[in-house]
Amino acid sequence: MSQRPLQGVRILDLTHVWAGPLGIRLLADLGADVVKVEAPLARGPAVIPPAGAGLFVGGEPALDPWNRQALFIKLNRGRRGMCIDLKSQDGKELLLALVCKADVITENFSARAMIDLGLGYDVLSAANPQIIYVTMPGYGSDGPYSNLAAFGPSVEPMTGLGAMLGYSKAEPRNSAMALIDAVAGVSAASAMVTALNRRQSTGRGSRVELSLHEAGVSFFGDFLVAEQLGSQPEPSGNAHPCYAPHGVYPAQGADNWLAIACPDDAAWSALRREIDEDWLRDGQFDLAEQRFAQRSRLDELLATWTHDQNKHALAARLQRAGVPAGAVNTAPDMLQDEHLLHRGYWVDQALANQPAVRYPGIAIRFNQQESVHGRPAPKFGEHNREVLQDWLDASDARVNELIAGGVLLDRPPG
Amino acid sequence: MTTRVLEIGGLAAGFCGRLYRQGGADVVRVDQAAPDAWVSDAALDRFLHHGKRRIATTDPLMVRELAAQADVLVVEGTPSYLASLGWDNLDCPGVRVAITPFGLTGPYKDWHATGSVLLAMGGYTYIMGDPDRAPLTLPGHYVQYQSGQHAYIAANALQFEGADNQTADVSMWEAVLSLSQFTTIMWTSNGDIRQRHGSDFGLLYPINIFPCADGWFHVNVVPTFWAAFTRMLGKPELEKDPRFAENADRLVNRAQLDQIIHEQLGGRTKSAIMRLGEEARVPTGVLQELHEVLADEHLASRGFWEEVAGVRVPKIAYEITDR
Repeated sequence: MSQRPLQGVRILDLTHVWAGPLGIRLLADLGADVVKVEAPLARGPAVIPPAGAGLFVGGEPALDPWNRQALFIKLNRGRRGMCIDLKSQDGKELLLALVCKADVITENFSARAMIDLGLGYDVLSAANPQIIYVTMPGYGSDGPYSNLAAFGPSVEPMTGLGAMLGYSKAEPRNSAMALIDAVAGVSAASAMVTALNRRQSTGRGSRVELSLHEAGVSFFGDFLVAEQLGSQPEPSGNAHPCYAPHGVYPAQGADNWLAIACPDDAAWSALRREIDEDWLRDGQFDLAEQRFAQRSRLDELLATWTHDQNKHALAARLQRAGVPAGAVNTAPDMLQDEHLLHRGYWVDQALANQPAVRYPGIAIRFNQQESVHGRPAPKFGEHNREVLQDWLDASDARVNELIAGGVLLDRPPG
Repeated sequence: MTTRVLEIGGLAAGFCGRLYRQGGADVVRVDQAAPDAWVSDAALDRFLHHGKRRIATTDPLMVRELAAQADVLVVEGTPSYLASLGWDNLDCPGVRVAITPFGLTGPYKDWHATGSVLLAMGGYTYIMGDPDRAPLTLPGHYVQYQSGQHAYIAANALQFEGADNQTADVSMWEAVLSLSQFTTIMWTSNGDIRQRHGSDFGLLYPINIFPCADGWFHVNVVPTFWAAFTRMLGKPELEKDPRFAENADRLVNRAQLDQIIHEQLGGRTKSAIMRLGEEARVPTGVLQELHEVLADEHLASRGFWEEVAGVRVPKIAYEITDR
């Protein structure tokens, strides 16, 4: 394979925050030619994190904080960047000209935002009948919730995950990591490759709708099916509903842990050989039924064995013995991990005059080659001129006119 | 022409096959030993495998014959399991995708994993749960299903390219790692290890779950929603209150703010709080029990459910409408 599989696919990326940019990152990593189109205030004061909460590359916002947000850089690699004022008529016409040259346009605004801008699917598909338009409203474009404001963390408890995640039914928890955005982002990438293949066979463009809410419900749908079949799933902390041991156990040092699971007798036998302590010799945990019935006590006993051992060394030892086990990793643990380094997993990106920073890579490799990655995340409006010349064959004079008219920007106003 | 998919393995391959089946593909599943599932086989049959044809075999010759007829071959398991199927010589005229816990190469390639092990190693577990208690894992099959989606994306990308005899290697651990939120960048930007904070992020407040009259609700008040949230609370004067005016103030005085939230909203029902959130344009959600999700009027009105063998099964996340 001489090229990445989506090479030549043109995507206009109007997405923001997390879910949309994450999904597009996957497609950019697979070779798509992605142009990010941002609004003038997309990286402005309203979205720059407040003091103390900022994550800026190098630790400081410096003079151009809009170009230094680590989350943006992590999620938006592999694409060129433009800033177009879509509220102006010239901006709308410019976007439609780009739509004529694109395969996909995608956004994750609220349900009516594009329609209110005069850029609904009817307008986009009139400009380019083959365009694939991907919209990601939080609760979809119709139905009783369609006007609700939606962020991943507030959608999460409505998906079924909220009913399952926690120390117990009385102590529910939110993942506090906007998990539904990750679900919706990858689902959006799935939708886009599906639509691309479909268009290849039908020759027709399409409108693709994906709601954060439904993406989440779909992901945890097996619990919903189980509920209807009478099993009444509920939160059980770290216990597995079918077998034991399965948990998170203390390890040597402050707040160090490792996960151990024995889904079958073979894993249990291997673990038992490694533990080799008196409490295993009276036969009380020999059978899977016994282990499950006494899972709390088994967890306590296991914890007394794990608590003074190094989490990495013990996990490796258990793995060698055939027991599924892994350290509960923090960021430095993962960034130093030998397996990930061996596989060339991390992606380095560097800002001018800054050392390179490692970001998560992609989980897909082709023919066992190292991961392939595109360009670094764009600065704000960095490629206004380049994209217009590349996609629209625009003259310098025309680009200058658009810049002078405030249609194209390369820094947030104000 | 209908795409023919051969799916071998556990839950990740099953989810990949589910996406293909719902897109109209002809999916044949080769069942292997029972996977590490949190729900019954009956539930998985309806959720993952409805509409697939299924064969129970461990005969490598039969697998080889089936693979030779497939446009897409998806196999999930450890590299040694793949080897038992003759993976290296398992020819498929279309594309092949291997889903393995740690990838086909590298020092851990033969390690064993469950979803909980991969969540731990992928940095999720450390940050979920309360700071003074053991961290929490996620229930269910998040890792497997995200890995299945990656396999689906890889296979579709290769199909789009028109590639033949190409192989994609999907690492389940790397799938988890690639979807982290702030975990690595908090370290690389500020040198901070992301901690767990119960149900809140620790950086912005209030983003948390709170008890109410008939359950729990969640609000996601990033700084741009603070003014709107004070209106939702019925206390617009709090917008400029020096205890809460800035995010940093709200973090310091969160106990006082929690008390006000409890006083203003704690006695209301979930549906009333949803209405207040909608009126104020504040991202608000309520904790729905499973039976409440199944009865949700919004999902019903959008035709989200598919009836399968007497139960409602969620459709896939997206709907494609041709022009």
